[in-house]
Parts: sequence; C-alpha cells; structure tokens
Amino acid sequence: MEKEEFIRLCQDSKSDYSLSDSILKTVKGYRFKHQKKKLPVIWLETNDSGDNNIAFMSTTYPYLGQVFSEMIDLLYSNTFMAAQGSDALDILEEAVTKYKGEFVLVVEGAIPRKDHGLYNIVIIKETESLTALEAVKWLGQSAKYVVAIGTCASFGGPSAARPNITGCVGVRDVLDREVINVSGCPVNPDWFVGTLAHLLMYGRPDLDSLGRPNLFYHYTVHTHCQRRSYFDNKDFAEKVGDKECMFSQGCMGPRTPSDCPYRLWINHVNWPVKANTPCIGCTHEDFPDGSSPFFTPLPAKNPGKGEKNE
Amino acid sequence: MSRRKIVFSPVTRLSGHLSIEIVVDGGHVKEANVSSTMFRGYEKIMENRHITDAVYLTQRICGICSLAHGATASYLLDTLYDNRLSKNAQYLRNIMYGADILQNHLRHFYLFCLPDYVKMPDSPPFHRQNLADARLNPEDNQRLAEHYFEGVKASQKCHQILALFGGKAPHQHSFLHGGVAVGPNADNISQALALLQEVHKFIRMFLLPDIQLLAKVYRDYFQIGITPGHFFSAGLFKFGAKNEQNLWPAGILVNGQLETPNWELVEQDITNAWFQDKDTPDPYKKRAYTWVKAVQYAGQPLEGGPLARMIISGQYQGGSSTMDRICARGLETLLIAELMDKWLHKLKPGKPPLQQKKELVREKATSVTDAMRGVLLHRAVVEKEQIVNYKIITPTMWNFSPKDRYSQLGPAEKALTGTKIPKPELLFTILGRIVRSFDPCMSCATHVLDIEGKVLAEEEIF
Repeated sequence: MEKEEFIRLCQDSKSDYSLSDSILKTVKGYRFKHQKKKLPVIWLETNDSGDNNIAFMSTTYPYLGQVFSEMIDLLYSNTFMAAQGSDALDILEEAVTKYKGEFVLVVEGAIPRKDHGLYNIVIIKETESLTALEAVKWLGQSAKYVVAIGTCASFGGPSAARPNITGCVGVRDVLDREVINVSGCPVNPDWFVGTLAHLLMYGRPDLDSLGRPNLFYHYTVHTHCQRRSYFDNKDFAEKVGDKECMFSQGCMGPRTPSDCPYRLWINHVNWPVKANTPCIGCTHEDFPDGSSPFFTPLPAKNPGKGEKNE
Repeated sequence: MSRRKIVFSPVTRLSGHLSIEIVVDGGHVKEANVSSTMFRGYEKIMENRHITDAVYLTQRICGICSLAHGATASYLLDTLYDNRLSKNAQYLRNIMYGADILQNHLRHFYLFCLPDYVKMPDSPPFHRQNLADARLNPEDNQRLAEHYFEGVKASQKCHQILALFGGKAPHQHSFLHGGVAVGPNADNISQALALLQEVHKFIRMFLLPDIQLLAKVYRDYFQIGITPGHFFSAGLFKFGAKNEQNLWPAGILVNGQLETPNWELVEQDITNAWFQDKDTPDPYKKRAYTWVKAVQYAGQPLEGGPLARMIISGQYQGGSSTMDRICARGLETLLIAELMDKWLHKLKPGKPPLQQKKELVREKATSVTDAMRGVLLHRAVVEKEQIVNYKIITPTMWNFSPKDRYSQLGPAEKALTGTKIPKPELLFTILGRIVRSFDPCMSCATHVLDIEGKVLAEEEIF
C-alpha cells in the first residue's frame, strides 16, 4: 500500500482490530503477488543406503529449512514427509497429475531389474505392489527433469557391485530420456542443492558426457588437489595417515571428476585426502568395482579380484 | 469393529522401505506383518574382495548408521591382523562413533518422531499431515515444530565433528583398522569442542525438555507398544589395546536374569522371509512377507537399541514401551555428548594414531558391537587377505524379525499386536508412533544373504 494510506490507517484506527485486519490482508496480498516459484519435487528412494538424504540433511547455506521454504516443494519423500500410509500414496498420485510436466523427479538408489523388479517394492497397495522399476517409469514419463542423486541412481553404484544378483542399474538404463546424474557416494549436499538451484533459476545445467553437471564435476580431484606438489615431486605417502601424496595408497583422484579439494565436506572442513586417506572415486561410473581394492595404487587395481597387485 | 485387513504402506519417516500388513478385529490389532521390501545382497557383494576394503564398503550398507559398520569392520580387521590401538586411537575412535550416534538420535527424534505428535506447518514436506490425536496446546506445538529445524542444525554439527577427524560424513575415511588416520591437534580438538558445546546445549535446552513434554502429554504411550523387554547389548564404546573392553557393558537380560552373550547361539529362521534356503533369494515365495530373516538367540527373540543399553547398564529405570524407547534414546544422547567432551579433553596432540600390521594372524574373526539401534555383528572368513565370505547381522533384523516357524513374534510385531485402536482414523497414527520408537533402519535389515560355499561342519547354524 502507499505510505500515505498506511499512515492514515494508523491514525484513523479505532480501539478495535480493524487496523491489523486490513494490514494483514494487504501483507498477504503482497506476498501472494511476489511469491517465488519453487521447484515441485518428487523424491523416490529405490535400492539405496539412504546416504544421500542423510548428506542432504547436512546442507549448510542453505540449511535444510531454507531449502524447504525457499527452493523446493518436496511433495513426496519417504524420508521426510509427514503423511504416511495411504495418505502418502494419495499425495503422490495427485502430485503426479497436478504437476505433470513440471515436477523434478529425484531418484535415490539403483533400480533392480531381475525377477520383475521384485527386489525393491516402493509401496504396497491393497491389491498390488508398486516396484521401484514401475515407479521410476511411471514418474519418469511425467517429470520435467529427472535427477539421479548419488552414484547408485546415476550408474548403479554399490547396489550394482559385482556380482549384482538383483540386476541393479542406474536410472539412465531404465528411462528413455535424459537423466541429470548428480553422482557421489554420497553426494556432497552442495552438488545436489546447487543443481536444484540451477534448475530453479536457470533451467537445465550444462552436463558432461555422463550427464553430470559440469558446474561440479568438470575437473578431476587430481587437478586441484592440495597435495599436487607432492605428486609432481614423486613424494608419495608410505602409509595411510601420512601427509604426502595418496597415489601410493590407492587414490583415485586422477580419474575422479569432482571438486572435493575445493569444496570440502560438512560445512567445508575436510575431505578424504586431507584426512590422510585416498580418494576412492565415488563419483565415477564404475564405483566401487573400478576403485577396488581401495588401498591398491591405481595402475595395479584389479576390480575382478581381491588380491593386491604390487 | 469387524475384522479388516489393512496395508500400512509406505511407512514414511524412517530409513529404507517398510510396510505393515495389519489385521484389526474388534478394535484391536490382531496381527501385524512388518515387511521390509528392499534387497541388495550385500554379503554376496563382499565376497572376493580385499579384506581391507571392508571398512569403506560395509559403510555403504547404510547412510544413517554408516560409522557403526565402519567401526565393526575396523574391529574385525584389528582382530585379523592383531593390531594394537593406542590410547589416542581409542579415544578418537569413540569420539567419532559418538558423533555419528548423536547425529542419528537427533534426526530420529526431530525428523522421524516429532511429526507423530506435533502439528507441523501445512507446507511441503509436511503438507496434509493428517495428524489424528494432536494434544499439545498451540504454544507448545509451535515451539516444538520450530525445534525441528534447530534439531536439523544440531545434527549437522554432529556430522561436522565427525568430518573434522573422518574427512567426510556419511561414509567417513579415517576410522580404519589400526586406529585413525588423522592426528588430533589444538585446531581440530578446539573446533570439535566448540561444536559439541552447541550440540550439548541443544540437547539440554531443547531435546530433553521436548521429550519430557511429550512423555507427559502422551503418557499413555508408556502403556502402548509394549514388548516383553528381553533386551540385549554387545556393549558400546570399545577401549583397550585390543578393543577388549566396553565402556557400557554387554549383556542379555531375559526374565530378570542378566547374562554374558555367547554369539555362537545366534540363529536365523527363513520361514517368512523371501529365501528359498539360507543362500538363495526367492521373491516369489508364497507365505513370505519380508526380506528380513528372523534372528534369535537360542530360539529367543531379543530387542536391542538405546533402551536395551540404558537398562542393561543400569542408567535407565523403566518399562519397554513406545515412550520408554524414546526417553531412553534421549537420555543416551545426553550421556554420549558428555562422554565425548571428556574424551576430547583426554586426547594428546600428535601424529595420526594409526598402526596397521600387514600380516594376518588368523583367517576368521567375528566382531560384535552395539550400533545406534542395537547389536551389530560382522563375521569374515578370509584366505590370503581375500574375503571368502562375510556375514552381517544388523540391529533392525533383530527388532523387525518376522514370525519364525513357531509363529514367535519379533519385538516390533509384538509391540504392534494387541494394540487398541479406539477409532479407525487413529490406526496409522498409533502404529506409526510404535514403529518409529524402534528407530527402524530397513536399509540395514535387508541386505543379507547367507554364507555360501565352503562351510565347515562346526560353523554356526546361520
């Protein structure tokens, strides 16, 4: 309202509640007009460990509360939603219809395909069950964006580690459309929240050849590692716990796309190499098998066996 | 009320996938089948890998109790290699473990439990909460609803303490066999103390008063969701150069008798689990309803978790109800924060307390310790440092055991069965409160597959 109107209101107020009444009405109207659009999000968990939603809970600036109030409308999430049972199922079904073509489908976990996908049932209804395989296909066809959070959803990850008896695959192998792969085991919450922010403010982010946002995954860990001078001087750690280059201890940095050395973890305090241990390449397409054994130097890693090859 | 069959699915606000098939008859729960519906086959995944991969790999069984697996695998490796842990390593490991337990307990109460008793704001993800039986007055309700987000922040600080020493969370890097790869110094100790101080303040000023308020206003839940109270614990917080002591003792408490556990007496029953035999998953098995194999101790279902620990260590006096579980978890949260403060002051600045021997002294070991929700067991058979088989039994397998071949109920099903449902619209609310008091972690409960291949005659029944 105009300043003069407001002052007049204050001066004219009688000893009843008419002032606050009219002010509240106006404030509400103003907020409604300027209401920021938030991203409608449906979050589906499949064959996962839940580590990504746990990492997400530790996001700082924005904190979780700010993500919920400013950035996303989390319409469905097995971990977070207050509703339960058939109420939750109703909410899901209505959200898919109401936000068709608008919502972001976040998938956390790999999709088991063997035995008709029975290794993961997302919801049991009165007469039938909804497998993760069916749920991803159903939701994926109506989503505006599909975001795979974590390496399991992106590429199969530990859920698909050999021998993979459940036939787990990443979401990209189940959906015939582009999937944004925010990989990591777990993700650094910044990568996920940052991707959501990009979708909200600027739309689809620039992706690398494996569908990962370049904003976070363009450079390898090795490129910006603080121990690079040790590597370049061939000054390698003799054991885990040393301050020198972790390449000798199995570090996957040279072939791992991620900004961990810059970004650090949990309010930016530390990361595996700073903690005197090797990077195990958790954002990579072939994690964990391609990084195994974790403490064997990269050239000698042998994903098919457990023996160290020195 | 006539007999009805209802499916409670999904059970939200927990870790993993859980559904419950219920039969209600005459206003009471006649039957409850707790159904875990996710399977990965983690024991199979562990085979044919280098044994030192166990710490990082088993952590990925679960994100909310990650370090519990890392710790148990580290202790197991310590036994296989005959490592000796320095005092610094002992304190630092327990500080890190404590931090992950605190993170879990804070998230359990505020993110998972609270919306069962407190009306949350009607915006996502709390929209259409449909909370039947909300009893708090508007002022108390508002205060607790605001504490939800403060609780999130406090739990983030716990992860930050863990990351200061562990590199990241979840799935930390430096708690390994032989000790910890990060050395304590004035910098990380003082940061950890500062974070802990804020967490401790939050526990005293928010968590405990909030739990006390719920315990008062919902005091009938001391009579709801009751189990027989057959508790057990593997002990928590290992000390000693060979991890041989537990600060909080191990024990089995059945019918008032306290005994020392003998882990050889653990058995599994696949009657109602989706397994054809010990080794082969069978998602089509007709009478089965869950991926969890029933786990028992000498034929006895047992209950683990903070309540079990607090009762066995004599730090909590109470029953075995829904509200007892919540109160005991709150008490444990305070106790752990205070222990961590003590331990941080005991650290001596210095090099990373890590000494990893390189030669195996044995080819088989079992490691048992309490995790957030109860007893966690890892057992490995190795050959030249390669895993031949790796068995994992998690706390939630015990608490969420399905009926065995004698139709004996596990703790969660026992707690649910017989519950009075005064009105149909209260069903999900009441059962949700009971189930969540156990802090179920279904990611942990359902990865298992039995030992395959070479099994010696004297091997355990499972």
